[in-house]
Amino acid sequence: MGLVRRAWLTVASEVAWRIPGRPQRLLAAFALAERGSMLDMLSAVEHTERRELRRRYFRHALDEARHATLFAGRVRALGGVGRAEAALEDSGQLVDAGIVGGQTLFERLGEEEFLSFVYVAEADAVEQFEVYLRRRLPDPETCATLARILKDELFHVSYSRTEVERAAAAGRPMALSMAKHRWRRVWQGWLRFTRDFGARMGGLWLGVAYLTVVAPFRLFARLEPGGWQLPERGGSTLDAARRES
Amino acid sequence: MATYVLGISGLYHDAAAVLLKDGCIVAAAQEERFSRLKHDAALPVRAARYCLETAGIQAADLDWLVFYEKPLRKFERILSTAVATFPRSWRSFPRQMHAWLGERLWLRTSLTSAFGVAPDRLLFCEHHLSHAASAFYCSPHENAAVLCVDGVGEWATTSLWRGSGSVLEPVSEVRWPHSIGLFYSAITAHLGFAVNEGEYKVMGMAAYGEPRFREEMDRLLRLDAAGGFSVDLDTFSWHWHPTQAATARLEARLGAGRFPGTPFTPRLAPGSASASEIDASQRHADIARSAQEATEAALLHLVQHAHRTVEADALCLAGGVALNAVANGRIAAEGPHAHLWVQPAAGDAGGAMGAALWAWHAVLGNPRGAPLTTCALGREVGRARTAELLADVGARFEDLGDEAPEAAGVDLAAGKVIAWVEGREEWGPRALGQRSILADPRSAEVRERVNRSVKFREPFRPFAPSVRAGAADRYFDIPAAAAAPSRFMLGTHPVREEAQGTLAAITHVNGTARVQVVDAEASPRFDQLLAGFERESGLPVLLNTSFNLKGEPLVSTPVDALAAFARSDLDTLYVNGFRVERMR
Repeated sequence: MGLVRRAWLTVASEVAWRIPGRPQRLLAAFALAERGSMLDMLSAVEHTERRELRRRYFRHALDEARHATLFAGRVRALGGVGRAEAALEDSGQLVDAGIVGGQTLFERLGEEEFLSFVYVAEADAVEQFEVYLRRRLPDPETCATLARILKDELFHVSYSRTEVERAAAAGRPMALSMAKHRWRRVWQGWLRFTRDFGARMGGLWLGVAYLTVVAPFRLFARLEPGGWQLPERGGSTLDAARRES
Repeated sequence: MATYVLGISGLYHDAAAVLLKDGCIVAAAQEERFSRLKHDAALPVRAARYCLETAGIQAADLDWLVFYEKPLRKFERILSTAVATFPRSWRSFPRQMHAWLGERLWLRTSLTSAFGVAPDRLLFCEHHLSHAASAFYCSPHENAAVLCVDGVGEWATTSLWRGSGSVLEPVSEVRWPHSIGLFYSAITAHLGFAVNEGEYKVMGMAAYGEPRFREEMDRLLRLDAAGGFSVDLDTFSWHWHPTQAATARLEARLGAGRFPGTPFTPRLAPGSASASEIDASQRHADIARSAQEATEAALLHLVQHAHRTVEADALCLAGGVALNAVANGRIAAEGPHAHLWVQPAAGDAGGAMGAALWAWHAVLGNPRGAPLTTCALGREVGRARTAELLADVGARFEDLGDEAPEAAGVDLAAGKVIAWVEGREEWGPRALGQRSILADPRSAEVRERVNRSVKFREPFRPFAPSVRAGAADRYFDIPAAAAAPSRFMLGTHPVREEAQGTLAAITHVNGTARVQVVDAEASPRFDQLLAGFERESGLPVLLNTSFNLKGEPLVSTPVDALAAFARSDLDTLYVNGFRVERMR
């Protein structure tokens, strides 16, 4: 897995970073991911029952917030002011990218699973950043930022690995858990692809319906005029209140 | 057995949940405070859970769950508009249908599974009726005209109601696509700000401008002799374009839009900008001023119509446009009504409160209850839990208990910028002394510091003052009609000329401020803090801004507070009676 992944990362980074405009988008995506991760870590601070871990989760959360700002700073420096602001401020982007959902990761996974997820995700990030730094991509300033962030990521890997090893020593199936998370990341990537593909196909068919089904009704439809009009109300009886229309 | 009604808003923006027990508000909260996603639109499952926990009940104990809109009527509007604007709606139709066919059409199922209530316990209120109910039933007025102005609900974008006792009777409405809320949002987007977020920035920017585009604005937003309005549908495109609110005609009329993030350097605050940059900024300020004035004129026009149509000396306002504090100030000062009431969460979040109150009063036939006197209806974290969290994250803190307000007053008088977290969090977008950043209002430098390195926001944005009730008239010209909105920081009023020099940090460039008048009975701890500052400085006024960082909702828990504290240049954090020093 490690060799294949490294080879893939090397090839992908050579391509991805060199497409004009792509570095901005990738860095904005990193900023967004870090912002989502901060929310997960703060949720862990709130919810953990292991009080000795709170300080680490809290530091981790602050690191992620700082990383989001650093990545956004690079996006801004590369000319993507609007994209940088959106990555730091637009909540809709976090939802659309599937980074946050109805529950935080900690709420969904519980402590041990969460820690093994953190370890897998952080170790992957370290590997990814090391490839970029080795290839000196995409530019020296961004590499300097990546190097700063990498130091923090190494701490995150270190403490989460310690916790994972501790749980494994206590007889928990952590190797299985980590393998599950690795495959879940691949699976989620696939799901994202199929969902996007499905949305495009759906859009295509809805576009066809628009041209064939909607078009004829245009003859009868008018926009409402401006100004005050008498209201059409359904009333306040229990029956009316039960209706969705 | 008590009757429990849960009101819900969501799926557009600012999702919220409000729980009534026998008609009294037990808890009210926005989902964003739990998810930490500003303006979170998801069904407010966590906010609802908080409400149920506060009341000590389960979902099965709910008598009614009321959604703030009629989804099928909204779908009808979307479909009709797509047909009526064919073929220009070719981009928006697939997107809208995708969203509706995928989720929103099946709302009944989503609500029952998300909130665990039986389908026969579900009720649906109309969007504008939710707004109207949120304003009228919370108000102290038995009889009132109720005016709701927002982007759009099902069909109505503006509606007028007659409120009497527990009856809300519809009078008239202006329908989609003619919308004052969307007009203001289109200008917000033109000025490079995010819609549903940047409208406050336009208000702040307007004070730097001259209304030289006013004639253009009056062509875009036309007032008619019958007391209503219409918008120029050739210039705006919100009814057929999925992402752009205006066509190229807007640029032709007003000039190029402002690119997001461009520094704002008008003539009143040029900094080191070049002449062309100053000119560009000044034009944007002039657009903001013109749009703001046109909006105020339109609202006054609607209010006059309301006064002519509904015989009442009180006016209740709701809908997102009712959060335009500058316009509220003018309505209070120049409008014909003796009393003004504005729902503190006038936007869609407030719809949750209105939906629940409508079900209780109008559907179930119960009489009016007590008016809303406090916004402290949200989550609270106890002192023991606060101490545990502070200790666990390694914060340096001391327990001041009841002495905290006094100590905070001393810190503030010494020039510190502090964050103040106390008790239950606020309902609505304004920080009213439960989740606030506070500072000495006398120093313009403090204002710049708070903008630059505490809140990380644009330097042109003003800060609001909080003033003790007995002293408000000494510093501000608050019209009698605005007494109620001022308690919730919902109106902008002139700072008295003789006080403007003293209150440099909270006086905007046009000599106004969005004042909160603090009532000792409703906010005793915050009043104590103001009293503490007054003892040290002789001034019963503080700079009060929401305790959040740019792009984030108001902090909710001590952990949120600590995280915001650690990432900003605040000097001290007070949380539930504990003073936390900066972690260096």
